[in-house]
Amino acid sequence: MKTIVDFTVNGELYELAVEPNLLLIEILRDKLGLTGTKHSCGVGNCGACTVLADGEPVLACMTLAMSVRGKEILTIEGLATNGVMHPIQEAFVTHGAIQCGYCTPGMILTAKALLDRNPDPTEGEVRHALSGNICRCTGYVKIVEAVLSAAEDMRKGAR
Amino acid sequence: MGETFSVVGTRISQPDGPAKATGEAKFAGDIQMPGMLIAKVLRSPHANAIVKHVDTSAALRLPGVAAVITPDDISEWNTFDRGMKDKPLVEGYSVPPEEAVVNSHARHYGDPVAAVAAVNEHVAEEALSLLRVEYEVLPFVLDASPAMEPGAPCISDLAENNVAKHLNYPFPEGDVDAALKEAHLVVEGTFKTGKQEHCTQETAACVAFLDAAGRLNVWSQCQLAHLARRELASIFKMPVRKIKILTPFIGGSFGQRGALGAEPIAVALALKTKKPVRLVFSREENFVGLESRTGFDRVDVSMGFKKDGTLTAIKTYMLGRLGGYMGCGPMASVIGMALVMGHYRCPNRVGSSDMVLTNTPMSGAFRGFGNEVLSFCNEQLMDEAAEKLGIDPIDIRLKNAKQTGDIAAMGLNLESSYLEDCINDGAEKFGWKEKRSRPKDEGRIRRGYGMCTMSHCTGAAPLYLEHSNAMVKFNEDGSVDLTVHPAPVGQHIWGALSQICAEELGIRAEDVTIVTGDTDVTLFEYGSDASRSTYAVGGATLRAARQAKEQLLAHAAETLNAPLEDLDVKDRMVYVKHSPERRCSVGDLCYDAIYAFGGRATNFSGKQSFEPEWNSPIYGAYFAEVEVDTETGRVKVPRFLVAIDCGTAINPMAVEGQLEGGLQQGLGYALTEQYVVNSRTGVVETTNYDSYKVPGTMDMPQSDIIIIDKPDPKGPFGAKGVGEPGMVGIAPAVANAIYDAVGVRMRELPITPERVLAALEEKQADRG
Repeated sequence: MKTIVDFTVNGELYELAVEPNLLLIEILRDKLGLTGTKHSCGVGNCGACTVLADGEPVLACMTLAMSVRGKEILTIEGLATNGVMHPIQEAFVTHGAIQCGYCTPGMILTAKALLDRNPDPTEGEVRHALSGNICRCTGYVKIVEAVLSAAEDMRKGAR
Repeated sequence: MGETFSVVGTRISQPDGPAKATGEAKFAGDIQMPGMLIAKVLRSPHANAIVKHVDTSAALRLPGVAAVITPDDISEWNTFDRGMKDKPLVEGYSVPPEEAVVNSHARHYGDPVAAVAAVNEHVAEEALSLLRVEYEVLPFVLDASPAMEPGAPCISDLAENNVAKHLNYPFPEGDVDAALKEAHLVVEGTFKTGKQEHCTQETAACVAFLDAAGRLNVWSQCQLAHLARRELASIFKMPVRKIKILTPFIGGSFGQRGALGAEPIAVALALKTKKPVRLVFSREENFVGLESRTGFDRVDVSMGFKKDGTLTAIKTYMLGRLGGYMGCGPMASVIGMALVMGHYRCPNRVGSSDMVLTNTPMSGAFRGFGNEVLSFCNEQLMDEAAEKLGIDPIDIRLKNAKQTGDIAAMGLNLESSYLEDCINDGAEKFGWKEKRSRPKDEGRIRRGYGMCTMSHCTGAAPLYLEHSNAMVKFNEDGSVDLTVHPAPVGQHIWGALSQICAEELGIRAEDVTIVTGDTDVTLFEYGSDASRSTYAVGGATLRAARQAKEQLLAHAAETLNAPLEDLDVKDRMVYVKHSPERRCSVGDLCYDAIYAFGGRATNFSGKQSFEPEWNSPIYGAYFAEVEVDTETGRVKVPRFLVAIDCGTAINPMAVEGQLEGGLQQGLGYALTEQYVVNSRTGVVETTNYDSYKVPGTMDMPQSDIIIIDKPDPKGPFGAKGVGEPGMVGIAPAVANAIYDAVGVRMRELPITPERVLAALEEKQADRG
C-alpha cells in the first residue's frame, strides 16, 4: 500500500506516493532521475550513495523513503549554484581528487557535512569523517588534500 | 632534460572533472530509456552442477515479466571467451571458449543459469524467486593441485586433468640446471598468492537495445570497445556493422573491464524482448560473476648467484587456479614470468606454468597481471640472497639491473631505464641507510624497513596487438576536436591526450575537445590495458596532430609569405622564428581556410594509425616502513615511498594519482583482501566490503611519490605508461620490511595476522 510522503530535494518540494519498502536511492535515481547518487555496495558499507538529510550524511541505499518525510535532502546535483561549483567540487577537480568519479558525489557530500560542522578540520579529522567512503582509484591522498584546501577557501570567504 | 614544454608536464585539471563533480556524468547504470526493462540474473548456488531443467512457468505468469532466458535458449548463441583476446603468443589453447550466455553446466558458485527481464527491479527480483531449477549436483574441486589428480571432478571434457593450459616462459635462455649447479649460492622458495577482487566502485552494468533500424546499441563498460563489438557479433551471430558500442563513463576498471561483464545477458534479453534492457550487477554478483585476479596455489622459484651477488639463473614454476572457465587468466603466468624473470640481467632463465580449471569464480586481468605475483616471490629471494652474501638489498639490485641498450623483459630493445635514479633518489628521501642501520626494536611493536624494484611493460608488444588510431580536426576558431577511443576508466587519459595534442599544435589543452565513446564515430582502437593508452593512443594522437599541423603551417606560409621551415606555432600563434612580429593566430588561419572561396577551402586535419613495435619498460623502486605487532600479528604500514621512471610525466598530478591509488590496492592485496571460498560447500563467503576488507582513509600510510621525469626516446614527448606499476611493488616491499622487523619470511598472500603469528611461532619453535 502506498503512502504519501513529502520532502524537499535540492530545494524543490515533492509529494510522492511511495511503497513502504521503497528506498531513498530508488526515489532519487529512478523516480526523480537524479542519478548522481551512486549505487555500489547496496548495504551501507561504502558511502557511494551518501546524500545529506537536514545537513547530515545518510546512506540512501539503506534509508527507507518514508523515513525522510519532512526533511530537506541535498544530492550532488543540488550543490552547485547558478552553474558555479561549490568550493569542495572545485577543489576535487583542481586537485586531481577525481579519477573514475564513482565515489565522488558521496565523498563531496560527506565532506560538506564535515566542513559545515567543522570549518577548520585537521587531516586526521578529514580522514575520520571520510572513513566510511571507499575509493578504489586514488588512495585518498588527493581527496584529503582537496577537502583541506576547500576548507581553507571557504574560511577565506570564497563563498 | 632536453625540450621545454608549454602544456606537457603541467598539472591540468581533467576535462571530465566538472561532470563527475556535479553528478552530470552518466555511467552505464545511469542510462534511462523509455520502456526500459530491468534484468536480473539467477546464479548457481552450487560449485559444480548440471542444470537439468528450469521451470519458468510461474515467473512468466507474474505480471510485468517480459522474458526469461534459460539454458534451453543457448543453442541460439555461440559460446565465448569472456577475456575476448586473440592470444598470438600462446596459440593452441587446449580448451576452446566454453562460457555461454547462461550455462547448462554451472562450473562455479555464482555461474549464471537463467535471467529475467521485467518492468522494474522489484518484479524482476520476484520473478527470480519463482524460477524452479532442477540441478544435478556434482562433486567439486576448489584448488589447482587436487584438480589435477586422477579422479578429480572433470570441469571440462577438453582439459585433460583440468589443465586448461601448460604455458612456458616465452623468452628462455641458457642452461638453468647447469647454472644452478655451478652457483655459489642458490635461494629457493615456495609461495602462494591470493585471489583478489577488483572492487571497482561501479559494479558491472550494461544497457542494450535494438534501434528502429535494427541495429544493436550497447552501452558497454568494456575497456576494449572495438573488441567487445567483435565478440558480441560472434556470440549473437550478427555482422559487426549491426552493432554499435557506446562507452559511458566507467566507474573503475583495473583490468576487469578488459573482459565482458554484463553485456552478454543484457544483449540476449534485449534481442529477445525487442526492448531496451538494463542489467546492473549487485556487489555480491561482482565478486562471483566476473574475472578477478588469479590465485596461485604454488609458485616455486630458484635463483642462483655468484659470490659477488651476480644473478646467474632463475627457474620458475607457477600453478594457477583459473576458476570454471579459462578467460584471460592463463596470461597472468606468461606476463608475470616475462616481466619478472626479465627484470634483471640473467643469462639462464627457464619457467613454466600449469593453469588449472577449478570450481571457483573466474580469473582474468588485474593491474599487475602476474607481475605482482612473481615480484612478491623473486624480490623476497633477492633480499635473502643479499643477506646471505652480506650485500645491501639496494646494491644487489643495482648490480643486476638492466641498463638502457640491454634486451628488455619482453624481448625488445630497452629504450630507457632510470631505475638507478629511482633507487638512489628513493633511498635518500626514505632515509634507507639510517633506517636499516638502526638498532632493532625488541618490544611488542617492531618496526621494519624494506624495499624492492620492478619493471613493467608499456603496452604488451610483442605479445598482444597494439593498434591505436587518432583523428585531429581543427575548427574555424582554432580549437581542435580529437577523436580517439581509450576507455575513460578514471586514469585521466582525456587530459593527457589533450596535453599531447595541444603541445604538438601550439595551442592550449582546453582548446582540445575529446570526441569519443561511439564505435560508429571512432576509428579502430585496441583499447586501454597494459598501461598503454598514453603511450599508444598518445602516439597516434601526436602523429595525427603533426599531420594537421603541417597543413596549418603550409597555409600560414602563404599567408605570412615566409618559407615553411621558418615557421613555428606557440600559444595559439603561428610566427616567423627569426622575426616573431610576423605572425597570425591559429584561429584566423583556420577560419580563412574553412571559409575560403576559389577552390582553396580546406579543413586542416590529421588521421593516423599507430602500432608501436617497441615497448618501453617502466621502472620503479618501492620503500615500505612497517610496524609488526608481535602479540596480534597485525601489520601496520605507516609510511610508503614509490620512485618511478615513467618517462616524461605528461601530467605529474595524474602520475601521482596512479601510484597513490595503486598503493591502496597493493596494500589490500598484501595485507587484508582475502577472497574466501568455503572448502565444504564451494560457496564464496566474501562478497561485500564487510567481509572483504579494502583499505579506507584510516588504513593508508603517509605516502611519497618521486617522479624521475626523464624522457624515453620512443614515447610521445618521452612518456611511458604508469597505470599498472602502482600495484606491483607494494606486497614485496611490505614483505621485506616485515622480515626486517621480525625476521620471518611471509610466503603467502595476503599477510593476515594469523599467518604472521603462525610464522612467529614457527620461528620460536625452530629456535627452541
